[in-house]
Amino acid sequence: MTSAPSTAPQPAEPLLALEGINTFYGPVQVHFDLSLKVGRGHIVCLLGGNASGKSTTMKIILGLVKPASGSVHFAGQPITGLPTPQIVRRGVGSVPEARRLFGEMSVRENLLMGAFTRKDQRAVAQDLDRVLGLFPKLAERLTQRAGTLSGGEQQMVAMARALMGRPSMICMDEPTMGLSPLWVDRVLDLIATINREGVTVFMVEQNASLALEIAHHAYVLQTGRIVLDGPAATLRTDPRIRDAYLGGQDAG
Amino acid sequence: MSSWIDYTINGIIIGNIYALLAVGLALIFGVSRLINFAHGSVYVVGAYAGFVAVTQLGTPLPLTIVIVVAVGALLGLGIERFGLRPLQGYAHIAPLLATIGLSFVLDQLVQLTFSPDPRALPSELLERRFQVGSGTIGALDILIAAVGIGSAALLYYFLRFTRLGWAIRATAQDRDAAQQMGVDVNAVNRAVFAIASALGAVSGLLVGMYYNYIDPAMSFQATLKGVVAQVVGGVGNVPGAIAGSMLLGIVESYGIALFGTSYRNLFAFILLVLVLVLRPNGLFASRRQTPPEPMTGTFIAPSKPIQISYPVLIGIAVVMALLPLVLPNPYVLQTLTNAWLYGLLGLSLTLIAGTVGLISLGHAALLAIGGYASALLSLDLGMPVGASILLAGVIAAAIGTILVFPSFRLRGHYFSIATLAIGEIVSLVILNWESVTRGPIGVAGIPPLSIFGFELDTDRSIYWFALAVLVILAALQFRLLGSHLGRTLRAMRDDDIAARSYGIGLDRYKALAFSVGSFAAGVSGGITSHLYSYINHETFNSQLSILALTIVILGGMGNVTGAILGSVLLVGLPEVFRVAAEYRVLIYGLVLLLLVRFRPQGLLGTI
Repeated sequence: MTSAPSTAPQPAEPLLALEGINTFYGPVQVHFDLSLKVGRGHIVCLLGGNASGKSTTMKIILGLVKPASGSVHFAGQPITGLPTPQIVRRGVGSVPEARRLFGEMSVRENLLMGAFTRKDQRAVAQDLDRVLGLFPKLAERLTQRAGTLSGGEQQMVAMARALMGRPSMICMDEPTMGLSPLWVDRVLDLIATINREGVTVFMVEQNASLALEIAHHAYVLQTGRIVLDGPAATLRTDPRIRDAYLGGQDAG
Repeated sequence: MSSWIDYTINGIIIGNIYALLAVGLALIFGVSRLINFAHGSVYVVGAYAGFVAVTQLGTPLPLTIVIVVAVGALLGLGIERFGLRPLQGYAHIAPLLATIGLSFVLDQLVQLTFSPDPRALPSELLERRFQVGSGTIGALDILIAAVGIGSAALLYYFLRFTRLGWAIRATAQDRDAAQQMGVDVNAVNRAVFAIASALGAVSGLLVGMYYNYIDPAMSFQATLKGVVAQVVGGVGNVPGAIAGSMLLGIVESYGIALFGTSYRNLFAFILLVLVLVLRPNGLFASRRQTPPEPMTGTFIAPSKPIQISYPVLIGIAVVMALLPLVLPNPYVLQTLTNAWLYGLLGLSLTLIAGTVGLISLGHAALLAIGGYASALLSLDLGMPVGASILLAGVIAAAIGTILVFPSFRLRGHYFSIATLAIGEIVSLVILNWESVTRGPIGVAGIPPLSIFGFELDTDRSIYWFALAVLVILAALQFRLLGSHLGRTLRAMRDDDIAARSYGIGLDRYKALAFSVGSFAAGVSGGITSHLYSYINHETFNSQLSILALTIVILGGMGNVTGAILGSVLLVGLPEVFRVAAEYRVLIYGLVLLLLVRFRPQGLLGTI
């Protein structure tokens, strides 16, 4: 298992900032005045049980869902309400929930799709080599159809695909979902490795104890409200984390 | 022997033409999950654009093709803009209905501009023929094959090796994921519609040149053929669409050789229904392949239906019954009688498409079965007219349900396509079964309406009869909706898996609802045949099916009062304002388009 990161200094300017977000699905309110910050170079995880609004937070950042009010700033620029492709072009990479590979395309084509917004073909080719260095297993599978890979391998393709866009931040929606315990550890290691290469990571997780081992900072979401946040190292031992999942009163 | 070579070549040529249509449909389905029913209109517009270019501007062939490609691409962009883009996030069937509306509008505009009469589309290549073995092949055949193969090769290169091609493939596989890779899926949609429509327009031009004949009515048949080829090859599968088109072309060509021209479409539609029922993923899908995204989602917009209490409804019925005494104007009475008969059709479809959620696109076939049954029973077997109408309803219910039963397992779009094909099959059987239906001549001299021997020979009596039948059947349907059975049907519509897990046998309930609905449509067709005294295979055409659907959506899906209101508005109002027939179809198309977009719950709300 990865050792816990040393307490990184809190940077002055956050890379991503959500301010006062309120979201609705029809008459149902999903977020209540949600605010959070992701520091540059950090791994920040958003924890919470089912139906707490975690995945919707991810969709707001990526522009797949538009909030009713509030603002999203990325690298100091407002990105609220921008269409998804434009947000991606500004350097937000995505590892979607359940991986969402292009199943009929080869692994290589999937990786190159990750670099879709880039025009610098030579640098893309270099990045492909670099990414394959990071995920050596994928090099053997380049011509295979992505849909035929195992879950863990698909997760690696999804992460490699996100890296191919040279993002400054990657959003990961439940990267360990549906993986065997062995693969969960591997994926978390890889996330830490990606982060060490300078990529900020914002991840949504259900698996709180594991996620807190690699994260710098964490927020706990309960029915659309942030009920707890702080450095991962302190939250790891905080009993209120457990209460947030089990619906206890202390966390509120 | 030589003729077989000719038939084979002909089949391949026609297959190439279908392929140009079907590939476009497959591309569009791939990126947008839409079966574009306006595709045939693109084909017609392409043919007429070629006609104008050749006859008015005297353009040479290469330039004509360029013009047709440009017109087709622009039209495709328009269809995407009005038929698809505003409907993102609606039920999957909504854009399909919108493209049906668009196709009505486009076809009617072509007809208004160029008249419904056929035109010749001359081609400088028409005359040249070369000897091949014991058969011959024309220069035009070679051109069509070259365009077909050339387009396929270009398309393959484009999808494999270009950035936009990659974006299209990625969007087709996972729209959200493609967006998260930075693909502008709206731009992809536009590109696909432009490409697909350019191919469709060229297809129309080539067909026009091949037969030296174009008319606005080609549109609907072209859409159907493209859909057949696509479904046979696997919906959304581009190579499959090409293979399906070739198969369809050859099957049709051999079918014509064996049985004659009037059977041509029958083979196409029977092939479609068989593939849908037996291999819904298409002939070329591997067994392991997961089925395409289930195209479920009924067209039921959540709404609070406007409650009209029974005393008010009874009051309205009484006022309507007294109307002939107060206002004995024959024109008004005939118009309203017509509206009551369409109201019966509306009752039928609002039950099947609204309450059960099976969007039937071939409902006019039930009118045709009822109409022919009552006409032939009274004319050939001497049955009294009232009894023949009642029996016609039963026959329509029986035949309709038996024909549709195998399709009950299909969901969403697939059921709609199957009913469309079944509707066409019924019409073609009527055309070809001469010993019973008198074929293309039609049935003349149908005895006038009468009940219990009393002839209904005044406008007033006919009005009362139609109103009485409508009121009785509407009352029964109200009763049904409020009963345990009505709730069961709605439960199936809202979640068929959940309904099944509560022990509801889906097929049996669907069959029950379908037969109840078909009865009303059969009775409506029966009464109509006695009013018209002459019917043929085109009396109850596919436009009526779409009109019925528009009536039902206008009133509010599943809403009994709404179906009657919708029919009074759509059938009555154009009559009151004396709108010419060709503009009516235009209005129906526009109404359908606007309803889907702005008021999917209809006037009175869905139930």
